[in-house]
Amino acid sequence: MSVQSPFIRIGSRSSAMAAWAMLALLVPCSIYSALYDSTFVWRLIGYALLGMMAETVYTLIVKRKRRLVCMGSGFTAALIAASVPPTMPFLPMLFSILIAVWIVKLPMVGSPLRFNAAMVGRLFLMLVYPAQTVNWGTPTVDVISTATPQELYRSEGFPLEWSEWLFSKIDGTWEGLFLLVPGSPGETFPLLILLLGGLLCWKGIIGWRIPLFFLLSFSITSAVFGNSLLFNLLSAAILFSAVFIVADPVSTPMSKSGQMICGLIIGISNALIREFTFYTEAIVYAVLLGNLCAPLLDHLAFEVRGKQLQRRMRQSARD
Amino acid sequence: MLRTIKIDWKIPADFRTLETPFPRPERIYSGIDEIDPKTFPAFLDEIGLIGMGGGGFPASEKLWANRHSHTLVINGVECEPGSSIDKSVLLNDSLWVAAGAAACAKVVGATKVILAVQHNPEFVAEVNKLYSEFEILSFPDKYPAGAEKLILKRLTGKCPPPGSRPYEFGFLIQNVVSLRAVGRAIVDGIPVVERPLTLAMPSTGFYKNIIVPVGISVSELLDLYKLPYDSGIHLISDSGIMMGKEISKSSTIEKTTISIFILKRDVAFREERPCTRCGVCNTACPLGLHPFTLTEKIRKGKTGGNAFKGQMSECFLCGVCSAVCPSGIPLVQTLEKGKQCL
Ligand code: SF4
Ligand code: SF4
Repeated sequence: MSVQSPFIRIGSRSSAMAAWAMLALLVPCSIYSALYDSTFVWRLIGYALLGMMAETVYTLIVKRKRRLVCMGSGFTAALIAASVPPTMPFLPMLFSILIAVWIVKLPMVGSPLRFNAAMVGRLFLMLVYPAQTVNWGTPTVDVISTATPQELYRSEGFPLEWSEWLFSKIDGTWEGLFLLVPGSPGETFPLLILLLGGLLCWKGIIGWRIPLFFLLSFSITSAVFGNSLLFNLLSAAILFSAVFIVADPVSTPMSKSGQMICGLIIGISNALIREFTFYTEAIVYAVLLGNLCAPLLDHLAFEVRGKQLQRRMRQSARD
Repeated sequence: MLRTIKIDWKIPADFRTLETPFPRPERIYSGIDEIDPKTFPAFLDEIGLIGMGGGGFPASEKLWANRHSHTLVINGVECEPGSSIDKSVLLNDSLWVAAGAAACAKVVGATKVILAVQHNPEFVAEVNKLYSEFEILSFPDKYPAGAEKLILKRLTGKCPPPGSRPYEFGFLIQNVVSLRAVGRAIVDGIPVVERPLTLAMPSTGFYKNIIVPVGISVSELLDLYKLPYDSGIHLISDSGIMMGKEISKSSTIEKTTISIFILKRDVAFREERPCTRCGVCNTACPLGLHPFTLTEKIRKGKTGGNAFKGQMSECFLCGVCSAVCPSGIPLVQTLEKGKQCL
């Protein structure tokens, strides 16, 4: 067992990072489960186990190694499960998890261009099973055709108390259709998710740069289009995506400046897609776009910093 | 851009004590009274002084290059977690340090002496008492605050350009232990034959600052304090946890040995996993470099570009990136290899 300096390790280890994120994800999901759908959290855990098994099989076949606990893939699978309606049948879920883990997540390890596996799985569901993906319960009200939920909020006013944002079951016409915030199980408790995001940042599991820049640019862009900030921020998965999807370290740039720009790109494009198209789930496309830019951003950041240093070096040589 | 990181380290060695378990060396020279800038570098060569802060450059050359400095900086900012030898030398051997500092200042013509120490209220108060004639500058208790580059940044107010040396700005930065050795030679006529260092074995809570003769072997030290060293479980780290090297039991104490740490192997062991591209290494690097991109380029052999050269020459192998990497990638070792591609 050879060791090399530094003989100390600071911060978290990658094997534990996904486990922490997974725990954080379980918090809103179990509350949702307790309030609305008692079997949901078990299904979520089941899907996560499925994801892990998928990775175990993959490593066994491709790398000929036995690895039993594969938190990363489990987390990906759980994310997919938490971001689609709980009514999603098993078969599509299985397909999307396998696609996410076998085609996107594992083969892309180490290549410069990486996609967010959960988002690709999600995209697959949206394209192949569109009916189930937008089925947020029984469509009792005829607002299902509204482009964005903000319009719903606007027409109804904003009848909720602050305390209800955290937990508590909401009654009224939205019950079963949009819950507190229109979205899937994981996306239901905005303030709680914000809190968890803060915790994860503090623990060093996720970086604060991408989520912050994502939220900022998203709010500013939507404000420019005249939408209310609060509605936008609290609706349709924005906070959920900021904490659990956008902040994913694997598929985003690793340089600091790259992360900020990537956050900007995702936020702005998300707001634009929301404004000009009928997708309420614009985040999927926005994140994939951000992933697409990541290698370029990293490369640019490296070159710019290197050039900067060289310029300073030459300057000092001249003096 | 220059940042430092906080390393939690439970008990560092007590800086108030400095033990001399071995017999003191004998007087060899007569000591000198008059310091002549012309003959002084030769005198330093004669006593065999090299940079004792870990650099190991011949002190005479450094002094010669610095001969037009306006300020002498005494570097007592040790930042390697756990070690406190610079502090204890400052407190216990203040006579020699001050004599050495005065001599060096005179030789290079420095009119001002700044004492850079680590910020620790208790310690700074005592230093204030002992060194009232020097200006005291305190640095945060973080790693790598003691690097020359970061001290220079604080002094000049701007980030020094890559590859520059302190004398270009008129500063001579000397380590406390080197100055102590100078003072020892001037006052007592004793050449550089002893080395103050921190000896520690964190797992048993053993921490001591001691002065040992240069050239004795590590095993002698271990026997002296009856430390339960087992080569299967423990490793011996020469000069610190962050930048140290693993040495064997039979190695000797050099003039540049800052500390001897006996650490558990499994604490330091890391299993390399694929890079998750988390960017923590970039965020943590005190100079804002991109350690992973550098490493990738080194591993692939693409070391030609200008940007690569710029970043590579800036890196000072502090090891922060390796310490924070969640995937246990030996970044700093690869970067060390990369240094040779320059
Ligand atoms: S060793 Fe790593 S952290 Fe230290 S300067 Fe070099 S790249 Fe930055
Ligand atoms: S800290 Fe380690 S895992 Fe993260 S980007 Fe740097 S090298 Fe990769």
